[in-house]
Amino acid sequence: MNSSTQNPFAGNPGSSEFEDTLRLIASLPAPEGLEERVEDGLRRAPHRARILQWPVAWRLESAWVRTAAAAAIVFVVVGGGWGISSRVQPPQSIRAVTVLPHVSAQGGFSSAGAMRTPQTLNGPVVTHPATTPQAQTKVAASARAKTPARHGKSVPAKNPSAPTPPLN
Amino acid sequence: MSAGQAVFSGWMEIADKAEYDETRQHAEEAALAALVSQYAGTLYRVAYSVLRNSADAEDAVQEAFLRVLRHRDTLHEVRDQRVWLIRIVWNVVLDRKRRSKTRPETDDVAELARVLPAGGLNAEERAAAAQHHAHVLSCVEQLPTKERQVLMLSAFEELTSVEIASVLGITESSVRSRLFRARNLMAGLLDHERSVR
Repeated sequence: MNSSTQNPFAGNPGSSEFEDTLRLIASLPAPEGLEERVEDGLRRAPHRARILQWPVAWRLESAWVRTAAAAAIVFVVVGGGWGISSRVQPPQSIRAVTVLPHVSAQGGFSSAGAMRTPQTLNGPVVTHPATTPQAQTKVAASARAKTPARHGKSVPAKNPSAPTPPLN
Repeated sequence: MSAGQAVFSGWMEIADKAEYDETRQHAEEAALAALVSQYAGTLYRVAYSVLRNSADAEDAVQEAFLRVLRHRDTLHEVRDQRVWLIRIVWNVVLDRKRRSKTRPETDDVAELARVLPAGGLNAEERAAAAQHHAHVLSCVEQLPTKERQVLMLSAFEELTSVEIASVLGITESSVRSRLFRARNLMAGLLDHERSVR
């Protein structure tokens, strides 16, 4: 062992009084019976928890008992699973529901495809829609636009029974 | 192979494994008992140097071996069991020291007077020696933690500087530099105490 791995206190010529105290304490003997007490404590300590611990009487000698137990466990698990699956109905597939848009027969606003509309109070029913003078003017204007313009020329009627003018 | 045979062979393997586990458990218990008989004294001294109380030190040793018991599966992987055990007990002791309140110095004096060897000393000299040692230990307590730890571990002749470095998880050069600082600080503290008196 080279010098670098020795105890740093060892062979130190300048060892002072405090080092003597520390060394004295570090060299105190352990109390008697320490090992026995520690071993007793370890024996009393709980050992590692086992996931599955078979009873001692069932160990090794009776493999068929364990086989039967395993079969019983499998039976219970499979039976339970089958029982649950037979009772539970599979969820029905969701069907798409088409709703026709509600169109007001008397005009006005549409329902904009709303599924539900609130119940509102019935307002006054209008039997004869009121027309304003402006509206009447527009109606008349549109009616005139539909009739063909004559421009002062008469168009001869193509009536075969009408008298033909004399030829010169 | 049918399913029944497979299940049965599986159960046979479990039975073999149980037998193997039992054998291994016995081997681990024997290895642990060997560790206890070999290193319990060393661990006690390390614990006592910090806790300075016999019962507390013994409890710390017990707790350290309980920690070993929990990790006994990896016991064969430990390269230097002695240093590994000292490191465990050192951590246990520091935990306990941190949790417990500071013990008054008078307790240290009484405990030291009880445990220190009294070869050729009368009662008065014994009390004076205990007083002196307690005073030195109170000065050690005033050191910074890092320096104090190195100083205390270096008092164990069976620990080399490499092993002290391993216990504390530092480099060997750090051990030496900290020890140098600790010695200087201790000399200053003791001189100051003398001048005050």
